[in-house]
Amino acid sequence: MRLENIVFHNLRRRKGRAIFLTIGLLIGVATVVTLLSLSDALGRHAQNELENFGANIIISPRSDQLALNYGGVQLGGVNLVTSEIDQATLKNIDDIPNRRNIATIGPKVLGAVEVAGQRVMMMGVDPKAEFKLKRWWSIAGRPIESGNELVAGDAVVTSLGLSLGDKLLVNAQEFTLVGMLAKTGSQDDQLLIAPLPAAQALLGKEGQLSMVEVAALCHDCPVEDMVMQLQTALPGTDVQAVQQVVKTRMLALGQLRLFAWGVAVTVVIIGALLVFVTMMGAISERTREIGIFRAIGYRRRHVLHLVLMEATIVSALAGVLGYLTGVIATLTTLPLLDGGKASWQWDPTLAVAAVVAAVFVGLLASLQPALRASRLEPSEALRAL
Amino acid sequence: MSLINLEQVTKSYINGADCVTALQELSLSVDEGTFLGVMGPSGSGKSTLLSVLGCLTSPSSGKVSIDGINVYGLSQEKQADFRREYLGFIFQSHNLIPYLSALENVMLPLAVTKFSSAEKRQRASSMLERVGLPDRMLHLPQQLSGGEQERVAIARSLVNNPPLLLADEPTGSLDSTTSQQIMNLLAELHQGGQTIIMVTHNKENLEWVDRTVYLRDGLIEKDTSDADDSLSQAV
Repeated sequence: MRLENIVFHNLRRRKGRAIFLTIGLLIGVATVVTLLSLSDALGRHAQNELENFGANIIISPRSDQLALNYGGVQLGGVNLVTSEIDQATLKNIDDIPNRRNIATIGPKVLGAVEVAGQRVMMMGVDPKAEFKLKRWWSIAGRPIESGNELVAGDAVVTSLGLSLGDKLLVNAQEFTLVGMLAKTGSQDDQLLIAPLPAAQALLGKEGQLSMVEVAALCHDCPVEDMVMQLQTALPGTDVQAVQQVVKTRMLALGQLRLFAWGVAVTVVIIGALLVFVTMMGAISERTREIGIFRAIGYRRRHVLHLVLMEATIVSALAGVLGYLTGVIATLTTLPLLDGGKASWQWDPTLAVAAVVAAVFVGLLASLQPALRASRLEPSEALRAL
Repeated sequence: MSLINLEQVTKSYINGADCVTALQELSLSVDEGTFLGVMGPSGSGKSTLLSVLGCLTSPSSGKVSIDGINVYGLSQEKQADFRREYLGFIFQSHNLIPYLSALENVMLPLAVTKFSSAEKRQRASSMLERVGLPDRMLHLPQQLSGGEQERVAIARSLVNNPPLLLADEPTGSLDSTTSQQIMNLLAELHQGGQTIIMVTHNKENLEWVDRTVYLRDGLIEKDTSDADDSLSQAV
């Protein structure tokens, strides 16, 4: 016979109240788990979409002049790029607080080259990063890897009459055409794409970059913060977010998350009140019993122990069942939201947090009733004496 | 040798605008091994006396010593320990925990001790055997008769081997036959050396006690030990 036995016997005898308390807390936990899981799944889905969308932050050399082009139409012969980015400064990005939110960094060098008597725009890229950023690129042949390899845009292929495997003299250096881009309808059609070191050497821009494209996963951070951090890390550059896309998605996600937390807090408060009222009722109901415990020599802490242990058992049970109910509700609801593309992922932190939070709320709400019970004077509680 | 010493004990309650004095400078000594009956009309202070002796209600003034310990000089938690180690309570309404079996009810005071589970069980079952309920151990209180419930309450009060047993109207809710059985049981305990203080309304119960204190208005109106003393002096 230990205090635990008394608690279990009491719970078993007062099943109705224990079930009511468990269900009350369970609904609270399930609601919180569902909302947080849904907002997380939708957030992750939006994040994936952002990744597929490509770069959402552009880093370019700082210029005081205004751009004189729009939609690919440039005012005649004005070359505004007067400086480049020092490639060595890119490593500073690793030190920014939100580094984990950066998925891909795509450095580029741009410059005009001469091929078969025609001037063509060459873009030197980090092949791995670039082809990750431009997921919509469709290439006949294969992507460039290293050395003097080229992928040509659709307009360049047509203009120069190129075919796969051609050897091209670019500024008097020989390159091999390993891939041809399918028509994109963008400026990419006008490009010859080469590995970054080869392009830098060809253009005489070793260690220099014309621009950097960044794919930032701002699922849990404001994009403005990222821009500020990059700006600080890369002095002498202009950092611009592709505001429309990012902001719209972030706003929607932010609102969803805010709503989820709002409801979660409300539900937790209601759950805590429910536990408080039920436990207060239970203490009143058990006043005489507590008097007996005290009369036969139970210390105040023994009474406190009895009440809080009961609250812990009920709350932990509600936490586990509430989490499972929340997961089922999430799995049921997700196909109906965001075109059914978002998927649920098991989050052990949420599972543990659900149980811990349920126990914490249960204990917190039971503390006052438990203290009240422990402070009962045995003679007052018994009245028989 | 005195087990209990009450010195000038007063207990007053505030009841609305009135101050009710339940015990008035009451002094009382009870020797070890005494079976003391406390009688008196309603409101005479019997239950308050038992509460004060039981370390359940602190007196407004005066001193209460049990086994040489000034019990109200102890902290609240120490008082709880004192109740567990020195006192056994038998309540009029049995006060058994309804969701625990007879055996578990008897084990209740042991739940907060360091005895092993086996020892707790052994002590409780031998105590139930002693009060004549060896075959009722696993019954819930509602499955027991009033007399059986009282026996369980007595077994619970004795399971810690307390030096002092406090009984509040132990036969108050029982029929005469069962009352007699319970009183026989208490007498048997007394013959074994147990000190018992019993509040009762029933004069027949006084047959078993060896000293009676009559209370009225919070004062001792009559103490049979004084009469015994007078008698012995006369002899």
